[in-house]
Amino acid sequence: MKKIVTATTLILSAVCSMASLAAEGDVGVAAAMDDRYCTTCHGVEGIGNIAIEAPRLAGMEAWYLKRQLENFRAGIRGTHEEDVQGIAMRPMAAKLSDESIADIVDWVGDWEYVPAEATVEGNVRQGRTAFQACAACHGANAQGNEALGAPALAGQNDWYLLTQLRNFRAGFRGSHQEDTFGSQMVTMSKTLTDDQAVIDVVSYINTL
Amino acid sequence: MTNPVSRREFLNLLGAYGGTSAVLQAGVALGFMPSSSQAAEIALQANNGKKVAILGTGISALTTAWELTKAGYDCTLLEASHRPGGRMFTVRSGTVIDEIGNYQRCEWDNDPHLYFNAGAARIPSIHSNVLKYCKELEVELQVFVNESKTAWVQDDAMNGGKPVRNTDYSSSMQGFISEMLSKALGDSKLDSSLTESESETLLGMLRRFGDLNEDMLYKGSTRAGYGSGGFLDHGTTKDVVALRDLLKARNGGSVMVTTQEGTGSGPLLMQPVGGMDRIIYAFANRLGDRIKFRAPVTEVMVKDDGVEVAYEQNGVTEVLKADYCFNCIPSHLMSGIPNNFPDDYSEALNYIRRGRAYKAAFQAKERFWEKENIYGGITWVNAPIQQIWYPPHNIHGKKGVVLAAYNFGGANYTEMSQQDRIEDLLKHGEKVHPNYREMAQKPMTIAWHRMNHMLGCAPRWARNRGGWSDKEEQMYETLRQPVNGRHYLIGDQSTQHSAWMESAIQSAHYALADLDQRVRAEPA
Repeated sequence: MKKIVTATTLILSAVCSMASLAAEGDVGVAAAMDDRYCTTCHGVEGIGNIAIEAPRLAGMEAWYLKRQLENFRAGIRGTHEEDVQGIAMRPMAAKLSDESIADIVDWVGDWEYVPAEATVEGNVRQGRTAFQACAACHGANAQGNEALGAPALAGQNDWYLLTQLRNFRAGFRGSHQEDTFGSQMVTMSKTLTDDQAVIDVVSYINTL
Repeated sequence: MTNPVSRREFLNLLGAYGGTSAVLQAGVALGFMPSSSQAAEIALQANNGKKVAILGTGISALTTAWELTKAGYDCTLLEASHRPGGRMFTVRSGTVIDEIGNYQRCEWDNDPHLYFNAGAARIPSIHSNVLKYCKELEVELQVFVNESKTAWVQDDAMNGGKPVRNTDYSSSMQGFISEMLSKALGDSKLDSSLTESESETLLGMLRRFGDLNEDMLYKGSTRAGYGSGGFLDHGTTKDVVALRDLLKARNGGSVMVTTQEGTGSGPLLMQPVGGMDRIIYAFANRLGDRIKFRAPVTEVMVKDDGVEVAYEQNGVTEVLKADYCFNCIPSHLMSGIPNNFPDDYSEALNYIRRGRAYKAAFQAKERFWEKENIYGGITWVNAPIQQIWYPPHNIHGKKGVVLAAYNFGGANYTEMSQQDRIEDLLKHGEKVHPNYREMAQKPMTIAWHRMNHMLGCAPRWARNRGGWSDKEEQMYETLRQPVNGRHYLIGDQSTQHSAWMESAIQSAHYALADLDQRVRAEPA
């Protein structure tokens, strides 16, 4: 952080002189860059940002976040050409070191969990029935189950759950041969017979 | 060429574009200059030390801060990035491109001529407010050559993929259009809307416009340059590229309208000497320590008597309490920042889409384009790179920075690796200049969709090509009204003509005028 302060001080001290412009063009030079870019897309303290279609990270389980970052980095996720949001995420993760991933996971762990606002409206009763299949892994309250590798769904942005379920159903996510858990989801998502069923189940998750 | 498109076909074409009467009616608007041709006179009531929080340091924010500071307001600017300017960004030796997942540091020669305007790059003469500030802040300007007739037009489908000179393309196209229109003029349908004398005038104009021969046919023109001779010997006309061939170029529209200044493009444009960010630093230097860098906003709460803005700096969260707030943070980033805006305001903010734009540039080992008689202007390539720009400044210098791609649409550069982006620009560029690959040093690329603290280029409002819907107009008006008379959204996102500095500045002026009115109305 010291470096950053120096850079800022430098520019601020160079007041009003046209001759000093060349130096100021280089403000970026001394600025330390780290891998903590997450909030630019995922919102302040990872609250999620619908305009970027970047989901809530606050409250996401450390083990799940780590696995997804590693999957993105390895190209196991975010490489299918129809996975638009995944493709956007992948380059962010591609250059992360193990240390950076650990740092990010720690950092995200500091953020306060705030359940996301509901935006999807479907048939909750139908969704409840459909959710029984999901509950086996994700828990009756969609609270997640680390032992089964199934993340919490409750409190996540519903628009994100919708996109991911659609992607699993279409095979845009989970088709990579090394994506063990994803391929399970490809199978399980097909118990949802159509898009309305997807909307319904997400609507039910919103009530949990 | 002999009658490559029949007269009937041509009339059908004309009909498709609205016909003659539509063209004539368009003339009604002639004589009026766009409203932006007048620079605004800003006369804020001298103040009082009221506190103003300004979020972001794009040109709308800097304009606001500058005007308010001059009037005695106490301004603080919060900038998330390490640099001011937003999409007014110049890359030169040492500059960091903070693209997420594609961090780059520019290692071009340290030379004031070697820079790349990665965002805003051109100033039209009708953008009076940009020019006004350049004058006021003593930013030296120079001419930017936007069109060079000796630059190239390249399309794999045209002329066997070999580039043709812009002048070959445009002179011939002008010739063919004139020839066809003069033939069509005899047709009663077209003729009926013109008097005999008008027809004669038009025919005379067409002959000159298209450089037609006595039989009103286009057989080539010396406007395209000579095939040989022209100085010691008589010049000879070049072979004409057949109309059918020219029509294979699918970017012809761009080639033909580069010089239409009304929309901001024109043959004569301007640029600051040394880079577009000269304007930014001219403001920033004068504002001094009012700007806090690396201070991302984490919350915006509008209160009855002001605005509270939380931001983070050096790992500590601070709260800035202000009487007023001017916000140029991109709308799509505001969606991820806690706030208490009214629902309709948030809905409108979330509605605006972030534009995708991509640019690339490299340092050229030699000014190879000058050996091809090119001194500025644009080469049009029918590939995702779309354009190649040649620097109009430092003519005959040693090196120069070539803009090697400018795509503002849906190409997938954002998702490409740096290596693939570079290969793409070289691959297409060398179709135009055989030695391109050898000349290109250290290419830099910028995908605005993934720039840290920006995540987008020019905001997009209208979802339909037909124009703005009533709902969109309504949301736009919602965002133009300050929240609780305290929070103003500024920037080109708050205008109906995004992507121009002039728009951003005018959005600031619009908001300032509103503020001034409110402050004047307050009891003394």
